[in-house]
Amino acid sequence: MQRRYRTIPDLKINESACTISISDAALACKLTAMGVLPGTRIEMVRTSPFGNAYYIKVDGVRIALREEEAASILLEI
Amino acid sequence: MQQVEDRTPRVALVGNPNSGKSTVFNLLTGLRQQTGNFPGVTVEIKKGRMRFPSGKEATLIDFPGTYSLYPTSSDEKLVAAVMCDPQNPFFPDALIYIADVTHLERHLLLLTQLLDLHLPVILALNMSDTALEMGIKVNTAKLIERLGIPVISISGRKEDNIQKLLYEVEKTLKNPIRTAENVFFYKLSDGEKQIADAVRHNLGIDNPYRALLLVHHRDWLPYLQRQQREILGTIAETKDFQSLRAQVDETLDRFDRFVPIVRDAIQQPPVFPSTATDRIDAVLTHRWWGPFIFVAVMLLIFQAIFDWSGYPMDAIENGFGILSDGVQSTLGEGWFTELLTDGILAGFSGILVFVPQIALLFLLIAILEEVGYMARVVFMFDKTMRRFGMNGRSVISLISGSACAVPAIMSSRTIGNWQERLITVMVTPFISCSARIPVYLVLIGLAVPAVKVAGILSAQTLVFGSMYALGVIAALLSGWAMKKWLRTREPSFLAIELPEYRMPHWKNVWLSVWEKVLAFVSGAGKIILVVSIVLWALSRYGPGDSIALATEQAHTEAIAMRLDSNQTEDFVQQRRLEASFAGKMGKSFEPLIRPLGYDWKIGIALLTSFAAREVFTGTLAVLYNMGSEEGDINNRDENEAKATLRSKMKTETFSDTGKPVYSLATAMSLLVFYALAMQCFSTLAVVKRETGSWKWAALQFFAMSLLAYFGAWAVYEIFS
Repeated sequence: MQRRYRTIPDLKINESACTISISDAALACKLTAMGVLPGTRIEMVRTSPFGNAYYIKVDGVRIALREEEAASILLEI
Repeated sequence: MQQVEDRTPRVALVGNPNSGKSTVFNLLTGLRQQTGNFPGVTVEIKKGRMRFPSGKEATLIDFPGTYSLYPTSSDEKLVAAVMCDPQNPFFPDALIYIADVTHLERHLLLLTQLLDLHLPVILALNMSDTALEMGIKVNTAKLIERLGIPVISISGRKEDNIQKLLYEVEKTLKNPIRTAENVFFYKLSDGEKQIADAVRHNLGIDNPYRALLLVHHRDWLPYLQRQQREILGTIAETKDFQSLRAQVDETLDRFDRFVPIVRDAIQQPPVFPSTATDRIDAVLTHRWWGPFIFVAVMLLIFQAIFDWSGYPMDAIENGFGILSDGVQSTLGEGWFTELLTDGILAGFSGILVFVPQIALLFLLIAILEEVGYMARVVFMFDKTMRRFGMNGRSVISLISGSACAVPAIMSSRTIGNWQERLITVMVTPFISCSARIPVYLVLIGLAVPAVKVAGILSAQTLVFGSMYALGVIAALLSGWAMKKWLRTREPSFLAIELPEYRMPHWKNVWLSVWEKVLAFVSGAGKIILVVSIVLWALSRYGPGDSIALATEQAHTEAIAMRLDSNQTEDFVQQRRLEASFAGKMGKSFEPLIRPLGYDWKIGIALLTSFAAREVFTGTLAVLYNMGSEEGDINNRDENEAKATLRSKMKTETFSDTGKPVYSLATAMSLLVFYALAMQCFSTLAVVKRETGSWKWAALQFFAMSLLAYFGAWAVYEIFS
C-alpha cells in the first residue's frame, strides 16, 4: 500500500508541508508543547553537518530535530 | 493557606525557554542573587531579592524555562514539582509569567496550566520593543478580559515598564487574583474527572488539575510518600490511564482554546520574513563551514586564555607571596605561622590563582550562549556526541570542563535523558582543566626538548596540545564504553529551539560569569582549603618523635657535610618531610608506583596534588630542597623558579639503581597520569551531589585512577 503521508526527511531543502500528526507519544508531548501542532506548516531549512539532524522552521520559530524525531512527524503529501 | 504576612513573600518567575526570563530576573534582582540547593531534586535554584516601589521586599525565584508542566529534563521537573506542592518551601505567593510577545501563540501553554492550578499569575509580555519594530500590536485590555489576570507589556532589554510590573506584583501579593474555584481553562475528560475525584477522596486534593498532575507524575514527584504513590498507581491502573496520550490530548485542547484568544487580541499578526539570523545560519550551520568555524572559534578561545590570563595569575601568586612573607616576619616562626602560610594562605592562593582563567573562559562561553551560538553547536554535534553516549548539549559541559569541572558538571542539568546526563557527568573530568596546566608546563619543560617539528611547530606546544587531545579522546571513549554498558530505554530528545541571533546582553553575561566563578570558589574552593590544611598537617607532623629525630640527625649530617645556613635549612626541611606522615605514606606506596617510573618523592607529590593538581610543583620544590635558596615558592620570578626546579629534578637519581629519576619516560608517564587521573575531591563531591549517590563518584574515582595508572605504565614502558 502506498503511504499516505511524508515525513520531514522526505522534504527537500526549502520545501514545506503541513503536519498531520506525530507518531511517537513521548515525542508528541514534547513537540506539541513547543507548538508543533497538527496543521502547522513546517519548512525544511537544512540538514546538520554530520547528517541525522534537521533544522526546520515552524511559524518563524527555528527548531533542531534528530532524524528519528523528524521521522515521527507525519506530513501531508 | 500559609500566612503571607509572617515572612518575606515569594514570587516565582516562570516562562518558556528563550522568553527573556533570565534578563528580567537579572533586572529585578541585580547582584542580590544566590543559588541554593533544591531539596529532593538535584537541581540548584536561583533566588534573588526584589524591591517594590513601596520599599517592601520579596524573594524572587527563577524557575528553569519550560514549555509545560509535563517535563522532560530534571531542570523542567523542578517547575512541576514546586507548582504541585503548596507545602514546598519555594511555593510562590505570586507568579510572573514571561512570554515572548512576538511568539505569543506558542508561549501560553504553561500559563494556562498554572491558571488551572488556581495560582495568582501576572502575565508579562516581554520583547515588546521587538514587537513594535515588527509592527505587532497587542490589545492588552482584551487579554486581561479574556484571561482574567493582570497583563503588562514590558521589555527586559530596554528596561521598559519594569516599575509598572513591580507595582502590579505588589498589588497581587496584597490581594491575590485567583481564577474562580470552578473555572478551568482545560475541561477534563470524563475519564480524567473520575481520576481527579478518586484522588480527592483518597488524598484530599481539591484542585482537580493538581490531582491529575499527581497521577501523571506519581513515579518521580519527590515529596510523595510510598503509600501515596501506591494509591495513585492503583487509581491510574483501575481507570486504565494512559499518561502520554492524555498529555498530548490536553496540550492540543489547550492550544485550541488559547490560540483564538491570542489571535483576537493581536491586531496585526506577526509575519516572519527572512532575517539576518537566516543569513548567518546559512554560514554558521553550513555542512562544511559550520564545523570548521566551530573549531576555529574554540582555538581562538584557548589562544585568548593562554595569552591573557598569565598576567593576573602572576599578580595573584606574587600578592600571596608577599602576604605570606609579611605574616612570617610579623608572627615569627612556629606551628601557627606555618599553618597560616603553608596551610591556609597556600590554600587560598591555590584557589584564587585559577579565577582569572576560569572567569575568562566562562566569559567567552557566556557570550557564545547569549548570542545564540551554543544552540547551533548542540544542533551540529548532536549526532557525533550520541555515538559516545551523550547528546549535543554535552558539548557545552565538555567545553566548560576545560576551565573547571565543577561548574561544567552542574551545567549538564539541561540534558533530559538520565543516562546521557550521567555519562556527561562521568567523563567531563577527563577534559584538561586549568589546574593541570602548571603541571603540564613543568613536566614538558623538563622532558621535551625545545626543538621545532617540521620547521614550524615547537615540540613542546605539540606535546601540550596532545595532552588536551588525550583528555578529549579519553572522555569520548569512556562515554562510548558506558553507553555499551548502561543501555536504558528512557527516551532522549534533541528538539531544541534555535533562538534568533542577538547582541549579548552584558548584564546577563557578567552575572553568568559571576555565578560560575562563585560555583568554583565555593564548591571547589572550600574543599581545596580543607585538603590543603590537612596536607599541611600531614607533612608537618610525623608518627611519634620521628620529626624531632630527623631534625636532629639532619643537623648533625649538615655539619658533617659543611653546608652553609641556607643549605642546612633546606636539608633539614627535606628530612623532616621525609619523616612526616606524608613522607611515610609516599614511601609506603613507592613499590606501587615504581612500575610507572616514579620514586617516593613523586609519590608524595601525587598524594598532595589530590587537593589541587598544581600543588604538585610546590611539593616537589620542597622535596628537591630548594626552599630558602630561591626564597619562597610564591615569591620568585616564575620562569627562574621552574628552571631551578627543572635542573634539580634532572639531577635526581633512584637511590638503589642510581639511574636518573626524570628520564623522558618518567616525565611522559607523569603527563599521562595527570591528564587521566581523578585528582580532585571537589569534582567527586559535585558528582555525588548531581547523581545523588557516592556510587557514581566512587566508580569515577576508581575507573579514572586505574586508567591513569595503566596508561602511565604503558607510556613509561614505551619510552624507556
